[in-house]
Amino acid sequence: MYRRAVASSPEALEQRIDELRAAIRHAATAGDRARARELRAQLRAAESDWDSAVAALERQSAGAAAQQVSAAPAGGPLLPVREQVHQALTLVGVAAAPRLIVAVHDAFFSGPLIAARLTSLRRDEERSFRSAPYARAYYLTAALTADLLAPARGLLAVSTWPLERRVIGPLSPRVDYLTAAIAVASSVRRLPVTSADADRLLWRFAVNIPGAQPGGRRADPETVARAACAELDVHAAQDQAHRQAAAARARAQLDDAGQLFGSRLQAAGGAMSASS
Amino acid sequence: MSHTEARLDQMRGAVPPRPHNARTIAALTSNPGCVRRAILDAAGVDKPKLAAAAGFPAPFGQSRFAITRGNAFEAQVKANGCAELLRLLREQLGLPVPEVSYDDLEEVAASRSLQLRHSRTRQLLTRAAGSGTDAGTLFDHPLLALEVGGRLAYLEPDLIAFRLRGQFHVVEIKSFAAIDGQADSGKVAAAAIQSAVYVLALRQLLADVGGAGLVADEVFLICPENFSNQPMAARLDVRKELTVLRRQLSRLDFIAELVEAFPPGISFDLEADDAGVPRRPAAELADALAMLPARYMPECLASCEVCRFCRNEAQATTAALGRTVREDLGGVEYVDTALGLASGDLEPDLDTEDAAAILQTAARMRAESLGAAG
Repeated sequence: MYRRAVASSPEALEQRIDELRAAIRHAATAGDRARARELRAQLRAAESDWDSAVAALERQSAGAAAQQVSAAPAGGPLLPVREQVHQALTLVGVAAAPRLIVAVHDAFFSGPLIAARLTSLRRDEERSFRSAPYARAYYLTAALTADLLAPARGLLAVSTWPLERRVIGPLSPRVDYLTAAIAVASSVRRLPVTSADADRLLWRFAVNIPGAQPGGRRADPETVARAACAELDVHAAQDQAHRQAAAARARAQLDDAGQLFGSRLQAAGGAMSASS
Repeated sequence: MSHTEARLDQMRGAVPPRPHNARTIAALTSNPGCVRRAILDAAGVDKPKLAAAAGFPAPFGQSRFAITRGNAFEAQVKANGCAELLRLLREQLGLPVPEVSYDDLEEVAASRSLQLRHSRTRQLLTRAAGSGTDAGTLFDHPLLALEVGGRLAYLEPDLIAFRLRGQFHVVEIKSFAAIDGQADSGKVAAAAIQSAVYVLALRQLLADVGGAGLVADEVFLICPENFSNQPMAARLDVRKELTVLRRQLSRLDFIAELVEAFPPGISFDLEADDAGVPRRPAAELADALAMLPARYMPECLASCEVCRFCRNEAQATTAALGRTVREDLGGVEYVDTALGLASGDLEPDLDTEDAAAILQTAARMRAESLGAAG
């Protein structure tokens, strides 16, 4: 990519930044480190140009603007992301992926929860735990895969839960989904006013659980909960067995950090050595 | 390393070969007669880069938006232990309720190493093929492998291979919509061939445990229904695609013969200087490309990144007008020749008599209809 003359407007710079990011991604997936490095330098230059351009705009409009837009929403102080996630996870009571966490939060709690903020959460929590173990009341942890006791891709859990709830066997994704459905249904029932987000969330559960399909426009919490329980009966016993066995192994083989954040692969061999 | 592999490596230059994937393997079946493509693909040359360096950049590449949309749809279908997919399989294919087991093969203990994932895939799938009930239902992003032209290609079913009534079915999730049950036939055909590649790879993987017969000829295509984001499932029978594929793959062994036909100095090395510009001038790369005979047809524009180079080369030839024209006018290579034969200015020889007859008839019909109109 040749270097263009410096574009003055933020829009043009934003477009260039997007293009550079895509090109870096391509170079990175193709293993072309040199090119990726060089593109990254260009990206940094473009980003700093953008910063200057936007700062210039701000200076221009500073005189004209009367009020400043407050950063916090009108509803009150913004909770830290980890608190918001903790709220949502506590509601569903099972390990969940960012998508579900955000949907649950939007349905039942106030304040925006931006999905992008969750991507580095697990890593940040692990770092925080390792630097000062148990300093905080709870940590947001990984869920562990039952077979290799490794962090399950894309899932968050809470450290205060028993280990059995934080391991994932082959049947656990479905079991947890049904459990979450029951939790969401009972939360919808308890809402003082109907909420469109909550109804939509319940609907999406209802559609995917046999016997819970909504007849009318709204999903009925009772029906959903009953249907979810019915299917849960089919899988629960076997799932529990997997989880208990996995939890026992985790207690025996992993240290505290490992039991919370999982064990990454070491060199080939049988028993996992403690943590990463 | 065999002599052929050494030659191919030298042709490509000092970079790792571009890996094959199901799309490129499937593309091999669409133009088997093109030596240029056969050699460039076998050598693993970076075709988009080569085309751009030779002065004819590729007109396509998936748009970022299409990729994002595709990923988003796939994520939605697979979310929460594949809740939406399970619904489809239960409703449309009678998957029994107890079958919900989910195995994630995208990572192994947080590692994405291909070898690790492949051996774990192998382990889980052969165990599933062998055992009875506790065998697993959904396998997310399994990593299969197929030997293509002497090189091992890792293939990642865009999707999940799962087990229904003792059979493994490949599942492909695509984001093109099916409106009233009908989707773009070209895209469906492409999905069918890609799926056939996965079926073949899966059969090979299970062959060691005698499980090749457990892989069904039927694949499931999941795509958005009508104008919504709701997924629907369709069954695709890929037996025909499998036959074509097997035949094409067996012919790839002749790469060795093809390679021998070219001088040892031929090279597509795209080594770049510090600014990222390939050292070799465009004209040199174009000459090297021109040494490999091609078989251009308009379909190339949709599937091969050097298509514009070949189209430029094929200008004024009848081949550029498409397969049917090429076949009807066998023996007549240039458009000028065809026009000459049509008007009677050129005398046909033995080879071109049939073509000349067709052309003259067509010219007469055209003159009549234009004369009638005027």
